[in-house]
Amino acid sequence: MMNDFSSRMALYWPALIQGALTTLWLCAIGMLLGFVLGVLIHLLANGRSRAGVAFTRVYVSFFRGTPMLAQLLLLFYLPSALGLDIPPMVAAAVALALNTAAYQSQILSSGFAAIAKGQMEAASVFALGKYNTLVHIQLPQVLRLTSPALISELIDVIKVSAVVSVISITDLMRVSQQLVSQTYRPLEVYLVAGLFYLLLTSVLSVLGGLLERRWQERS
Amino acid sequence: MQELMSYLPEFANALLVTLGVSLAAAFIGLTLGFALNAARIAIPGFALIYSLYVWLIRGTPFLAQLAVIYFGLPVIGLRLEAVEASILSLALYSGAYFAELFRSAWASVPHGQVEAARVHGISRVRVFWHVQAPQAMAFALPLLGNQVILTIKESAVTSIITVPELTMTAGRIVSTTFSYVMPYALLVLSYWLLTSSVAAIARALGQRMTRHLRG
Amino acid sequence: MSTLPLLELRDVGKSYGANRVLRGFNLSVQPGEIVSLIGPSGSGKTTALRCMNFLERYDEGEVWIDGQLLGYSGTGRREADRDSEAKVDEVRNPLSMVFQQFNLWPHMSVRENVMAPLVLGKKMPKAQARTLADQALSRVGLSAKADAYPARLSGGQQQRVGIARALAVKPRLMLLDEPTSALDPELVEEVLQVIRSLADDGMTMVMVTHEMSFAAQISDRVVFMEAGQIVESGAPGPLFNAPKTERLQQFLKPWFNRSLTPRAQVTS
Repeated sequence: MMNDFSSRMALYWPALIQGALTTLWLCAIGMLLGFVLGVLIHLLANGRSRAGVAFTRVYVSFFRGTPMLAQLLLLFYLPSALGLDIPPMVAAAVALALNTAAYQSQILSSGFAAIAKGQMEAASVFALGKYNTLVHIQLPQVLRLTSPALISELIDVIKVSAVVSVISITDLMRVSQQLVSQTYRPLEVYLVAGLFYLLLTSVLSVLGGLLERRWQERS
Repeated sequence: MQELMSYLPEFANALLVTLGVSLAAAFIGLTLGFALNAARIAIPGFALIYSLYVWLIRGTPFLAQLAVIYFGLPVIGLRLEAVEASILSLALYSGAYFAELFRSAWASVPHGQVEAARVHGISRVRVFWHVQAPQAMAFALPLLGNQVILTIKESAVTSIITVPELTMTAGRIVSTTFSYVMPYALLVLSYWLLTSSVAAIARALGQRMTRHLRG
Repeated sequence: MSTLPLLELRDVGKSYGANRVLRGFNLSVQPGEIVSLIGPSGSGKTTALRCMNFLERYDEGEVWIDGQLLGYSGTGRREADRDSEAKVDEVRNPLSMVFQQFNLWPHMSVRENVMAPLVLGKKMPKAQARTLADQALSRVGLSAKADAYPARLSGGQQQRVGIARALAVKPRLMLLDEPTSALDPELVEEVLQVIRSLADDGMTMVMVTHEMSFAAQISDRVVFMEAGQIVESGAPGPLFNAPKTERLQQFLKPWFNRSLTPRAQVTS
């Protein structure tokens, strides 16, 4: 029986690897886009425009208060109603990005707040300008401060990304669904897929822990 | 507009299913989580099983867990209805998160209080119920509300195995009426309303319970 | 013979809500002058200094830098009347600042800290900025630490980096906000020495300080403030040795019996 399992694993393995890569790729893009958006949301939330502040509150409340699946469906099917045809990958990446941006904005905000006000005064007095101050003074420090929390968020994004399978993206989850329909072995296939996810999240978790320890040593 | 009216009753029904499934799962999960944490504290050696369980549940997507239970268990003879499987998976899923929540709540009670109680001969069980639990629960309450919200959100995934909850119903309406915007807009608004209400209730309850701390 | 003052404050005031922390502040600084602001905590001296480069938005009066009005274009003094960041940067360009808490950027090396205002603020090419930065670091005696990070330096060294950073931009006037107040006593002297050497080279400075003897030694003028207003001002010799007002006499009591030799007298 063991031999049969090994030969089946040989069948599953390449497909699952492919699916895992798609998942990782999609989540990486979503995470990066979400980071940029998250910074923008933070800037809006701390800016001078009252409309901007109100918008960010609504945005964060909405994307944190509704399920990823519902957001994905809305974003995928809405353009169809307007006559646009958005490829599923694009819709999924955008949906993940918009979702994670809401969470990242909160993480990043606490990072920004941790930078001593005096550093900002010095940047102002030496005429660095808002853009340079953000990119050269704030972001490098914010990234260092929040990287453990961002890794945690990436883990969440990977878990949440499983729902993109419903719009036919061949991520890890969808690949396992396909394998089930080929092999009629749902328990086995889904358990192996679960282990794949577990591997991904555990490696990232260890990475996050290492980063956190490095930070505690530095300070 | 008339169209909207036609499927509103269906939506209302779906909302009740979502609430029913989520709250049932959250309730079971909460009990499970509490028991897991208590066992972790009281039974030597259980900590390993606890850690394994939490690691498995928190390291994998809920959809994968649901798939194992709904599609996988029949292989070993356990065949569940979609709703049953959903409540079970959601309960097991939220149970792990509730357990972790209780673990940090228990850790928040200063150990000195436990020591003081033990030194005066108060039994472990009594210490658990009368010293740790009240303070830990006050700490945990706002976080419990948040976990209920997370459970409600996760319940959307059960639409994939055709549980007649909100997401599935919205999808059904879309495929029968071919209008996309209204049903999905209503869908997200419904969830938003649900989660905001739970958040508000949890906040109010939290204020009530910590009144004694504000002097 | 009067030359245009480099820095001029006319009736400058600042309030936080109902609390008026600065009022009727008048000061005129010529190139090459060194002015010290002294006074008890809460006297408004730091606020006055910070109004000079618009770190605090003054809401009464006028601040002129090299003939240009700082922070506003007209007579309105509300938040909405303030100039754009770019305009403010342009007007306060001849000024630079040394901070009490050093305010170095911890993720950059010493050299990078000194180069940043040049590269990012003045859009200077990196090679040129590096040369200027190294010159400034050598001026404050920290060439050996150019690649080190601020966290590894002592307070006195960090402040000297702050001074190098303020120097590298070749300012016409330096503002110093209690440069030694955050330092352990044994580190104060190294910083004062650097400031003294800058003064000897003719740098125009306005300094808030608690170091009375130092202020007496290097200043051309000392301004004593209390409760948001100037109480007395003048050359250090007469001011310290024969204070005219009761309040200044009270303030100077701890230093009363010590010798405070002003710079002007030493050179004669």
